[in-house]
Amino acid sequence: MRKRDRIVSALLITPFMLVTALVLAAILNIMVQSLGYMPVFDLYDITLKYYIETLRRPEVVQSLAVSLKVSALSSAAAAAAGTLICAALVRTRKTRGAMLYTVRLPILVPHTVVALFTVAMLSQTGLFARLAYAGGMISDYTEFPAILYGTGYFGVIIAYVWKEAPFIAYFSLALMSGVSETLGEAAENLGATPFKSFMHITLPLSLPAIAKGFLIVLIFSFGGYELPMLLGATLPKAFPVYTYIEFLKPDFRLRPYSMAMNGITLILSLMMALIYAVCMKRLMKKLGGGYEG
Amino acid sequence: MKDRKAMNAVLLITALIILLPVIVILIWTVTARWPWPGLLPENYTLRTVKEMLFGSNSLIEILISSVVLATLVAIIGTVIGLMTARATEIYRIRGRHVVGTAALLPLIVPGTVFAMGIQVLLIRMHINDTIAGVVLVHLVVALPYCVTIMMDVTAAAGDSLEEQASVLGAGPLRSFIDASLPQIMPGILSSASMAYIISYSQYFTTLLAGGGKIKTLALVLVPYIQSGDRALASIYSTVFVGSALIVFFLLEAAIHRLMKTES
Repeated sequence: MRKRDRIVSALLITPFMLVTALVLAAILNIMVQSLGYMPVFDLYDITLKYYIETLRRPEVVQSLAVSLKVSALSSAAAAAAGTLICAALVRTRKTRGAMLYTVRLPILVPHTVVALFTVAMLSQTGLFARLAYAGGMISDYTEFPAILYGTGYFGVIIAYVWKEAPFIAYFSLALMSGVSETLGEAAENLGATPFKSFMHITLPLSLPAIAKGFLIVLIFSFGGYELPMLLGATLPKAFPVYTYIEFLKPDFRLRPYSMAMNGITLILSLMMALIYAVCMKRLMKKLGGGYEG
Repeated sequence: MKDRKAMNAVLLITALIILLPVIVILIWTVTARWPWPGLLPENYTLRTVKEMLFGSNSLIEILISSVVLATLVAIIGTVIGLMTARATEIYRIRGRHVVGTAALLPLIVPGTVFAMGIQVLLIRMHINDTIAGVVLVHLVVALPYCVTIMMDVTAAAGDSLEEQASVLGAGPLRSFIDASLPQIMPGILSSASMAYIISYSQYFTTLLAGGGKIKTLALVLVPYIQSGDRALASIYSTVFVGSALIVFFLLEAAIHRLMKTES
């Protein structure tokens, strides 16, 4: 590289490095404080006691379990529904135009508004309850199942699926329509039924994009705040909601506890990403590394 | 053909599930009373419009601050995305694969975790509770998308046209603007559109970095949802999503026009 080019490229990458440094600084800060090192408050001992004490509290474990459940169930359902929607778009050749814009709509709707949508549809006086009454299925709104604010977090899960299934469909669309138009159609020309060609050719080759979309929504819904805060139960609280309550406690000596909770979220998110990376490597080997997600 | 029919049914149901809540919320915006078990409201009113325009929250101010914030994030995010992509795809700097992976880091660190982790640093830099602090935090959340999009289009465009221009005597900036910029313009617009929407939608990060002093539509909407005033919550949501859609479709239309003239 010429000297001038080296200077130019160094200048070009600098802002990115600064932003990345910011993320690393936030991670470092969480690690340092969660290990109990806060010189401002005379806390110097590096210890795991905040992690251990936090994980010993039953309400923390319950909250963690709720968040993992919400994240796993909603992401799995979103991936399945998203794949189906994507396949339908590809099969009916509606990969542009009004239908595609409809599918993209939930991606543009903020989570706070998604919460309002969910309340208007699924609360005990929501539209579905009214339809059930009009259809004679219930005789009073108290008979409609309490989907929202319950310990099962079903309202939160449904809300996430409404928003994330279209995301996964849109995220996988380019790859799936590419595969379908080339290899999928070749298989059909050779006599495979559309279903067989989808199951054996198009779906496996589209998996990299679907899996990447799944990972993004998995980590997002695990760390998401708005939906469980607005639609979740009082107890157990979703883990990020609980963490923020601990974070807001005015006594700064308690700060290591909330930072340990953030550390736990961070470690689990990294583990999800790691498992994804390992699975992808295996998948790529199986597929022969021809397509990248 | 049977499978195509089934797939059309899938799309129909999908569209219904997506659009039904939108319609219900639009009805709620002008609802005065909607008692159980009616399928439609009993009376309609424009109270919500009045309250939104002249109530305790000044809508215009909040709208302006939301738009300014999102525009800043869109511009800065896309410029950084473009600079990063030039460094990795054109100048092919050493460790460019690390850059590609590092760009995805904010997708792995949840926004809530990042916001709580960075708050102390914002305070130390004296930019907590300011627009600058909020822009910085939103930027981190939006940048993975900006960088990935810009890397993709820059790699696809390559630098052969630019090299020809510089061989013909154009300076580096001139040859970038004349040769590469038109090619990557659709990417620039979709990166900006993505960053705009992400910033516009942020609730938790805005709350933490802005300390409640930087008010956006996302922030003023939440108390209305919590208080159960469904009519007011609905009209704020409509303005919120509607204004985002306007920007999105303007950028989308520009992308389409560029793609057409390109081909």
